[in-house]
Amino acid sequence: MVDPVLSLAAESQTSQINDWLWTVKPDFVPGWAVPLTAVLLAVGIAIAIVSMVTMAGTWLERKVSGHIQCRYGPMRVGWHGWLQPIADGVKLLLKEDMVPTGADRPLFLLAPALVLASIFGAMVAFPLAPDFYFADVDLGIFMILAMTSTTTIGVVMAGWASNSKWSLYGAMREAAQVIAYEVPLGIALLVPVMVAGEFNLIEVSNGQAGGMGVFRWYIWPWMNPFMLPAFVLFFVAILAETKRAPFDLPEAESELVAGFMTEYSGIRWSFFFMEEYAAMFLYCVVGSFFFFGGFESPLTSLARLTDVHVLVQVAAAVTIVTKGFAGLFLMMWLRWTLPRVRIDQVMTMGYKYLTPIALACVLGGGAWEVAVSPHLPWVN
Amino acid sequence: MTSTETQAGSITRTEGGVLPTGEREFMLDVKTSDLEINMGPQHPATHGVMRILCRADGELCTGAQPHLGYLHRCAEKIGESVEWLQYLPYTDRYDYLAAMNNNLGYSMAVEKLMGIEIPRRALMIRTICAELNRIGSHLIAFGTYGLDIGAFTPFLYMFREREWMMALFEKICGARLTYSYIRIGGVFNDAPPGWLSEVERFCDTFDVKWQEYVDLLMVNHIFVKRTANVGVIPKDMAIDFGLTGPMLRGSGVDWDLRRDEPYELYDEICREGVFEIPLGSGERGTLGDCWDRVYVRVMEMREAIKIVRWCLDNIEPGPVIADIPKTLKIPPGEAYVGIENPRGELGHYVVSDGGKVATRVRVRAPSFVNLAVLEAIMPGTLLADAIAIIGSTDIVVGETDR
Amino acid sequence: MTAVSNYVKNVFDSVRTTLVGMKITGKYLLQKPITVQYPDERLPIPNRYRGIHYLEQEKCIDCLACARACPIDCIEMDAVRHGKELEWISFTLDYQKCMFCELCVYPCPKDCIHMGTEFAFTSYDRSEFVHDLLSYKGMAREAKTRMIEAEAKKKAKEEAKAAKAAAQAGKDAAEEGEATAKDGEDNAD
Repeated sequence: MVDPVLSLAAESQTSQINDWLWTVKPDFVPGWAVPLTAVLLAVGIAIAIVSMVTMAGTWLERKVSGHIQCRYGPMRVGWHGWLQPIADGVKLLLKEDMVPTGADRPLFLLAPALVLASIFGAMVAFPLAPDFYFADVDLGIFMILAMTSTTTIGVVMAGWASNSKWSLYGAMREAAQVIAYEVPLGIALLVPVMVAGEFNLIEVSNGQAGGMGVFRWYIWPWMNPFMLPAFVLFFVAILAETKRAPFDLPEAESELVAGFMTEYSGIRWSFFFMEEYAAMFLYCVVGSFFFFGGFESPLTSLARLTDVHVLVQVAAAVTIVTKGFAGLFLMMWLRWTLPRVRIDQVMTMGYKYLTPIALACVLGGGAWEVAVSPHLPWVN
Repeated sequence: MTSTETQAGSITRTEGGVLPTGEREFMLDVKTSDLEINMGPQHPATHGVMRILCRADGELCTGAQPHLGYLHRCAEKIGESVEWLQYLPYTDRYDYLAAMNNNLGYSMAVEKLMGIEIPRRALMIRTICAELNRIGSHLIAFGTYGLDIGAFTPFLYMFREREWMMALFEKICGARLTYSYIRIGGVFNDAPPGWLSEVERFCDTFDVKWQEYVDLLMVNHIFVKRTANVGVIPKDMAIDFGLTGPMLRGSGVDWDLRRDEPYELYDEICREGVFEIPLGSGERGTLGDCWDRVYVRVMEMREAIKIVRWCLDNIEPGPVIADIPKTLKIPPGEAYVGIENPRGELGHYVVSDGGKVATRVRVRAPSFVNLAVLEAIMPGTLLADAIAIIGSTDIVVGETDR
Repeated sequence: MTAVSNYVKNVFDSVRTTLVGMKITGKYLLQKPITVQYPDERLPIPNRYRGIHYLEQEKCIDCLACARACPIDCIEMDAVRHGKELEWISFTLDYQKCMFCELCVYPCPKDCIHMGTEFAFTSYDRSEFVHDLLSYKGMAREAKTRMIEAEAKKKAKEEAKAAKAAAQAGKDAAEEGEATAKDGEDNAD
C-alpha cells in the first residue's frame, strides 16, 4: 500500500512495517504518526545492523592486525575476544565527557553526530537482500556518494572546534585529501555504471546474475578488461576516502596523536571510529555490488534452485556481507603493510596519477562497451 | 627581504622575497604570524621526552629549536660521589638501548687510566655483546622510524628479533635492558655453557629476517618517497656539526672509529677484513638524505653479524677478568676513550685523583651532538618531513640529557 | 620521454613493492603468533636472572660488604654478635631504591646473597617494599646450641683454668709452707 503522507517505496521493509503498524494501530493514534513510526523503526533497525557490522569490523581489525604482527589480539573477553567491542563500548560510555577549554562547544558537540548521520544516511540506500531494503533508491550509488561526502564537513568542524593546532592540521589534511579523491572515485565507478546502465544497487546486482553466480561478475576481463584497473583505482580511492593507511594522514597517529580526533574522548570519539568502519564497510559493499556481483554467488544460485524465497534472501544477505568483510579484510591487510604517504604526495597521486588513469579507463571501457561488447555472446 | 620582528613569530614584511618553495611572496600588507607548534615533550614521534619548538607556516616548517633537559638525571654528578665500580649501572642508563656499549666505553676509559690488560676471552665476549647490542639498537632505530613514517608492522617484527637478543643477554647476565655486564677489568662472569651456540643460531636466523625487513620497509616505494631527498645533510655540514656514526656515514664521510681509531679487538678484525663500513651514496635520492642514513643502519646490522661470527670462530677458553683488587683505587690522571656507539662516538672522559671515587666523569653523548643539526636542516621542510628527519637522527633522550 | 617513463616506473614500483610487502605480512598472518600469554603461560626464566634477592642466612657473617657495594645504599642489616654466632634482628633491602644491578652479590666473602628468579613484587603499602630477607629472626636452634656449647666450653675452660690456677696457687702455697716449715725445721735444728 502506498502511503498517502510519505511515499514509501512499495515492497521496501519500511512500507511493510508501515502496513503492519496500520493493522495494529490503536484508534487514538493519529494517521500521520504511523508512517513516521515506521520510518523511525526502519532507521533504528538499519542503525542496529550497521552498528553490528561496525563492531564486527573493529574486532576483525584487532585480530587481523594482531596476527599480522605475530601476536594474538584480544583474547580475554569471550572466545578469542569476540565480546571485546562490547567491552570497549561499555568502557567508552563510562568515560568522562570532556569538552576542552576554549573549544567551540556547539560545533564540538555537533561534529561527531554529523559524521555519523552522514554515514547512516548513506547506509539507508544499502540493501541487505534483493527484497530486504529500507529505501528503494533509484539513484543508489549517486546518493551514497553524495551522503558520504558530507562527512568531510563534520571532520573539519571537529578539527576546528577542538581549539588545538594538531587537530587543525588533521582537519585541513583530511579536507584536502577527501575532496581530491572523490574525483577518481566517481570516475572509476563510471565504468561499471556504464556496463550496467543503472545506478540502483539491486538492479546492478541482478545484471550480474547467471554464470553459476561467479562468471558474470563485471570484474572479469571477458566482461570488460578495463574493469580491473577501474577496481584498483576505486580501491585506492576508497582507502583515501576512509582515511585508512596508507592515506591515514588526517589521523596520523605517530605525528598528530590522533589528528582531528585528538580532543575527543569517550563515546564521542567512538562515533568517529564507528563512522570510519561504517564508511569502510559501505564502500566495500559498493565495490562488491559494482565489481564483484553483489548478491550473486554460488550460494545464491544454489538457493535460487530451491525456489524458497527466504532462503534466497538469506543467501544473498550472507553473500553481500561476506564480500563486504572480504573487502574490509583487504583494507586492513594493506593498512598494516604500508607506511603513510605524505600529504603532498597524496595530492599528487590523486590528481596526477589516479584521475588521468581513471579517465583513460572510462574512455577505454566505454569504447569496449560500444564496439566490442554487443558482439560477445556471454554478455547479452 | 626586509622585515621587522614585532612579537614572537609575527613578522611584518615590507618587501617581498622568494619562499623556500620557490613562489614569490604576496599580500604583504596582510599581517600573518607563523604557527608555533610544540612537538613534545609528550609526543609519539620524538623518541623520548624532548621538546622541539617548531614554527610552521601552514605545513611548511620555518624554524625548529630543540629544548632538552626533561630527562636529566645528574648522571655525571653521580659519578663524582659513587665508587668506580658502583658507577657502572649508571652508565647503562644513558643510552638504554645500547647499554653494553655504554658499559664498554666507561670500562675502557677507567682501564686506560689503570693501564691494565684485559684477557683475550673477555675482549671476545665484550665484542660479541657490543655488536649484538648494536644490532638491537639499530632494530629499534629502524623499527621506530617505520612507526613514525606510518608502517606499524615492521616495528613488531624487529622487536621479535630483539626479544631473541634480549633472551641471549638474559642468559649471560640476568638482565634484559640495563646489563651492567662489561665491567672494569673484563666481564662479570663467563658465558654459560651453550650460550655461544645459541648466538650462532641467532646469527643464522637473523640473516633471513634481515632480508624481510629490507623487502617490507626499506625498499618500499612509499617509504622511499617519504625519506629520499628529505633532510639532506651535505658532507661539509656533517663534519662542521661534529656528527658521528650513521649520521656522518649517511652523508658519505668514511669515518668509523672501529677502523680509524681501533680499540679492543678491532684492529685485528679490520686487518682481517671481516666487515665493511657501509656508506650512504645518494642511491635513492640525494647524498645525505634520510634514506641514506637508514640504509647505513640497516647494512650495519648485517656487518655486525659478520663480526659476531668472527668472534665465535676465534674465541678460546680462558679467564674473563683481569687481576684487579676488590676495592679499586685508580692511579691519578685523566683519560678519554671514544667508542663507536650505534648512534655515534660515545666518549668517556674520566679524571682521577688516586682515590676510590672519580673526580670527574664526563660523557660525550652522540645523540646530544647529533641533535644540533636539526636546527639547521629542518627549516624549509614540510611538517611531515620534520618527523622523518627527527626519526632519522636516532636520538635517545636518555643519552641527550643523561 | 623520461617523464613518461618515470611515471610508469612509479606506478609499477608502487604496485610491486606493495605486493611484496603484502606477501610478507600475509605469511605472518597465517603463522601461529609468538605471544606467550602471561599470566596463563610463562617463559622459562634463566637461572642467572636478576630478580628479588634471597639470602642464605646461616652463611652470612654480617660483614656489610654487600651494603657497602650497593651504589644506592639499599641494604641495611642489624645483628648482635654472641662470640662467633649472630643473633639476627633484620636484613632489609629497599626495593623502592634497588636497581637490580647485582653489585651486591659479588663482594660477599661467603657467597650467601643471590638474586633469584622472582620478579613480580606488588603491594598495597609502600612499607612492604623494604623487604626483610631473613628467613628467621634471632638465632637458629643449631646456632643457639653452638653458642651455649661454646659458652659452656669457655666457662668450663675458664673454670678449669681457675681451678688449675687455684690448685697451682694452693700447691705454691703448700710448697712455700713446706719450704718455710723446712727452713723453720732447719733453723730449729
